[in-house]
Amino acid sequence: MSTDTNAATEKDSKGSKGSKDSKDSKGARGTERARKGMRPDRQEPTLPALGTVGMLRWGWRQLTSMRTALFLLLLLSIAAVPGSIFPQRNIDAGRVADYIAQNPTSSPWLDRFGFFDVYASPWFSAIYLLLFISLVGCIVPRTKVHLSALRSTPPRAPARLQRLDEHAELTTTLSPEEALAAARQVLRRKRFRLHSHDATSLSAESGYLRETGNLLFHLALTGIIIGMAVGHLLGWRGDIILAEGDRFASSAGTYNTISPGPWVDTESLPPFVLSLDKLHVEFNETPGRSFGTPRLFDAQTTLQSAPGAPASSENVSVNHPITVGGADIFLLGNGYTPVITVRDAKGSVLYREATPFLPQDGNYRSVGVIKVPSASPSQLGFTGFFLPTAEPTFTNGPVSIFPDTKNPEVALSVWEGNLFPGGAPQSVYTLNTDEMKQVTKADGSPALVRLKPGQTYQLPGDRGSITFDGVKRFAGLSVRTDPGAPISLVSAVLATLGLILGLTIKRRRVFVRVRPAAPGLAAGVEPGAADGADDADGRPTTVVTIGGLSKDSDSGLAAIVTAISTGVHDRLAERTDRS
Amino acid sequence: MNLAANANTALYASMIVYTLAMLAFTWHLAARAPKVADSRAAADVVANEREDVLVGAGAPTPAERRSATPYAAGPDFEESLKSRQRGSIALMLTYLASALLVASVLMRGLAVGRPPWGNMFEFATAAAAAVGATYSLLARRNTWQWLGVFIVTPILLVLGLALTVLYTEAGELMPALKSYWLGIHVSVAFLAVAFFTLAFAVGLLYLVRVRREERPPAKPGFIESLPPSQSLERTAYSLNMVGFILWTFTLIAGAIWAKQAWGAYWQWDPKEVWTFVIWTVYAAYMHGRATAGVDHRKSMYIALAGYVAVLINFTLVNLVSTFVGMHNYSGM
Ligand code: HEM
Repeated sequence: MSTDTNAATEKDSKGSKGSKDSKDSKGARGTERARKGMRPDRQEPTLPALGTVGMLRWGWRQLTSMRTALFLLLLLSIAAVPGSIFPQRNIDAGRVADYIAQNPTSSPWLDRFGFFDVYASPWFSAIYLLLFISLVGCIVPRTKVHLSALRSTPPRAPARLQRLDEHAELTTTLSPEEALAAARQVLRRKRFRLHSHDATSLSAESGYLRETGNLLFHLALTGIIIGMAVGHLLGWRGDIILAEGDRFASSAGTYNTISPGPWVDTESLPPFVLSLDKLHVEFNETPGRSFGTPRLFDAQTTLQSAPGAPASSENVSVNHPITVGGADIFLLGNGYTPVITVRDAKGSVLYREATPFLPQDGNYRSVGVIKVPSASPSQLGFTGFFLPTAEPTFTNGPVSIFPDTKNPEVALSVWEGNLFPGGAPQSVYTLNTDEMKQVTKADGSPALVRLKPGQTYQLPGDRGSITFDGVKRFAGLSVRTDPGAPISLVSAVLATLGLILGLTIKRRRVFVRVRPAAPGLAAGVEPGAADGADDADGRPTTVVTIGGLSKDSDSGLAAIVTAISTGVHDRLAERTDRS
Repeated sequence: MNLAANANTALYASMIVYTLAMLAFTWHLAARAPKVADSRAAADVVANEREDVLVGAGAPTPAERRSATPYAAGPDFEESLKSRQRGSIALMLTYLASALLVASVLMRGLAVGRPPWGNMFEFATAAAAAVGATYSLLARRNTWQWLGVFIVTPILLVLGLALTVLYTEAGELMPALKSYWLGIHVSVAFLAVAFFTLAFAVGLLYLVRVRREERPPAKPGFIESLPPSQSLERTAYSLNMVGFILWTFTLIAGAIWAKQAWGAYWQWDPKEVWTFVIWTVYAAYMHGRATAGVDHRKSMYIALAGYVAVLINFTLVNLVSTFVGMHNYSGM
């Protein structure tokens, strides 16, 4: 095959008859190669005077060799592993932060080398880019070679067919032409391409689809990569946390987070309006190992494709996204939004909102923050936990023992001071306590708020009160588009098809040669009664040699050789019948 | 009728029968070793010289061409009648055990009204059933009695582990797993793993066989009764090839499912990473084997490494919390 690395090396040393005075290290390697017996007869092992162009050529040939592809594939597989061991920012930035906090000595180094962003790291990208280049550099020349192979004729039969993988020899009283015709018929039926280079031989070849499949496979791999690139450039995703009863109107500014690809125009997002009517959630309540595991998540929503457009009822559940304006809406998470009211000392409402608390574990112990900038004399902040089923004693701190709201409770600490030091923007889920201090009771112990629905806590020192009105669920929705996905999908299907063709079809060559038998030999080789009779008649007898060759393990080849022998015999039988 | 209980009974029964099959296969191997007289005859068989008209990828390396060894199981190796009878008994037992195991998995599936691989216990039994069934279907046609003990023993180990460590009452599926793509994705994955497992066992035997062909031991053992190394290598290759095609399909079906469940077909969560790693390692093996000048033995090491990745993917990645990603549905 043209991609054979040995062949490439051979070409290398042939093409390197240049001036003798370049004595760089590349040249030394060339010499060594020559000494290793590739060309022992060469007088002076000339050093390849490569020059810049030559060097580039040499490098290109190395890069597009199959050995390099093999090496890069192995490297890629090894390089992918750390991403499954260390937490990754693209999956869970919070876990990365935790990991860094827990491993202060090793983490900065790991971070510097991209171990928390493996799949965006320079080294990982370098490997797959090299592989991609190698792939393209490999496909183009192979396609050319294959196209000409498709038009070429099978090669001349080798001298000694007996040395091929599969071979057979038989003697028949058919004439050489008749024997060849019989073989030709069998091979044609088996869809071989045929050619006679001379009157006494026949060359046949089949299995061109193998290389076609192989090329299709490699070409489709590039298709997958292109699809991924298109998705990266033109796709976007936005995440929303939507409480029951709330409404969301899509635009670049209304998502909690939005990550558009570099070529996305954020002004042209689909302007749909979505409200969450009800989130149905079920957890396993039978005791046992799977106690508390989720059973059902189903968001009942009302969707309008644009403000003012007709509304329709849609259900979004895990595995069942809904589609609007080219974007898919997925239900990816859920949790609780306690409705909290904060009043000042006079009883007027400073804050009343369903505030999302983010679940931290399987039992939905959730953390959240309430910021009340309008409180006076200084701003108030509450931070702590929401527990859907609180363990009542709190002996191990605030813990939830079941994910559903069997015994909901909030447990908060109270802070006062400056909520937004420096006026910098901050996350709604964290409280910056740099310029705040914890509110204490009269006896100096910190004020801790523990409330069940409907209960109110009077803040110490005329600071007003906080009430836990009730709890609603929220749905974590993700809106995504990936225009590259169909390209990748079609390519993946083609790749599989090519793979099947490339791996299962056998490239075979079969040769048949005929020659007149030496007198007296025929009867000994073929002691059949009919043949003997014909021989006695003094008819010319023919020796037919069949040889078959396959590129790899091929149990079908022997059957083909046998079929040709049988074909020749049948032809003889036919003729005997007729005469 | 209590299907779940019946599923367990069938599982225990299949373990008993597999144990008998394992003993029978060992007994069979004991009778297999060629006698020294056979070996002499085999020594005279000279390997065919092969003319490389179609040079390049796939042509045997010189090391493989001299396959004439003192006791190659060439055309003159006659398996003794005793050995053949024992082999048949062992195969029969394996058929029975595999049928029981497959029945157990099916009954469990019917009992819970979903594909029976929602937790690690079901996962392990279904994988073992796939290996057992695949071996049973292919063994007679290919006369793979010699392979039996190397397949049945790991199956027993996995079943034992599943029952003792991983056992879970059959329950419902987590919402993320309720998709028919899960059915497709996972069943094809099991099938791929079954082929990789067979290929792994044959690959190991191949390595032992080449080594002993190069440095023949004083007394032939059952290894010497196996097909010659070249042929073992081809068998392993064919099995790996089928496994690789199925794995490619697994990867694609998994991506489609991920797209439905999480909105992105690929996000490098640990399970996806390992599926990808397995795929690239086996792709490297295919390449190595097709590259002229790369020793088939070296390629085989790559395939074996691929199988190690398969094992990691089905055990550590499901169970260990460092690997926790979105696929964490092991029910542990
Ligand atoms: C993106 C990385 C690549 C992957 C995943 C890959 C995968 C594969 C696989 C699985 C096969 C065996 C399937 C078949 O024969 O149809 C194969 C064969 C082959 N690959 Fe690649 N390949 C990659 C890159 C390359 C590159 C860069 C080259 C160029 C040197 C190359 C050249 C070949 C050749 C020549 C064969 C045919 C071997 C034969 O004759 O059977 N591949 N590849």
